[in-house]
Amino acid sequence: MLLAFRFALASERVSGTAIEANEFPQLSQELGVWAVPRIVVDGEPRWDGAVPEPEFLRRVLS
Amino acid sequence: MALLRAEEEAKVREWFAELERPVELLVAIGPEETPRTGAGDVDFGAEMVRVCEGLAELGEGVTCRIEQEPEGFPRFPAVSIRPDGRDAGVRYDGLPWGYELGSLVGAIVEAGREEPTLRPDSLAALEQLDRDLALEVFVTPT
Repeated sequence: MLLAFRFALASERVSGTAIEANEFPQLSQELGVWAVPRIVVDGEPRWDGAVPEPEFLRRVLS
Repeated sequence: MALLRAEEEAKVREWFAELERPVELLVAIGPEETPRTGAGDVDFGAEMVRVCEGLAELGEGVTCRIEQEPEGFPRFPAVSIRPDGRDAGVRYDGLPWGYELGSLVGAIVEAGREEPTLRPDSLAALEQLDRDLALEVFVTPT
């Protein structure tokens, strides 16, 4: 979670939002959140689970 | 009920004392979605206010402001973590309780740093960004 925040703090082009899945079940269901952390980039579900910073960078930019 | 155990509170006070710039917590309150069964009988908005006001008491550099349905917040409750009171695109939607309270504390500590803490190659890649990038991370309290 902190990586998304750190990316947002490092660039005005990036926003980082944590979303508590249980409190927003409709959105979670729409995005197929069955495991956490689930990472969504520009509204598109991308992967589940924490990854190191270089891999996080590669995945969000790919 | 206390927000943090005594030893946790002491550590957070230490971290907040080292903030290099002020951090504002803008708490957005408004209509809430019905949470998933099992979330319990919790007033999430009131609890969000209690959490953020409680954290603001742990450091002079941390302040808390509460607004009803401010613009730019699609879900409630939520908190925007703002270095120097500026919207830097860092937000937590929902109540950061349990383990996730640490994520909010971490966000405050990061927002309180003058310089980014990413690796140089990450910073270089972000400098080359020619479009906006919205990162959302779904979490649960446990």
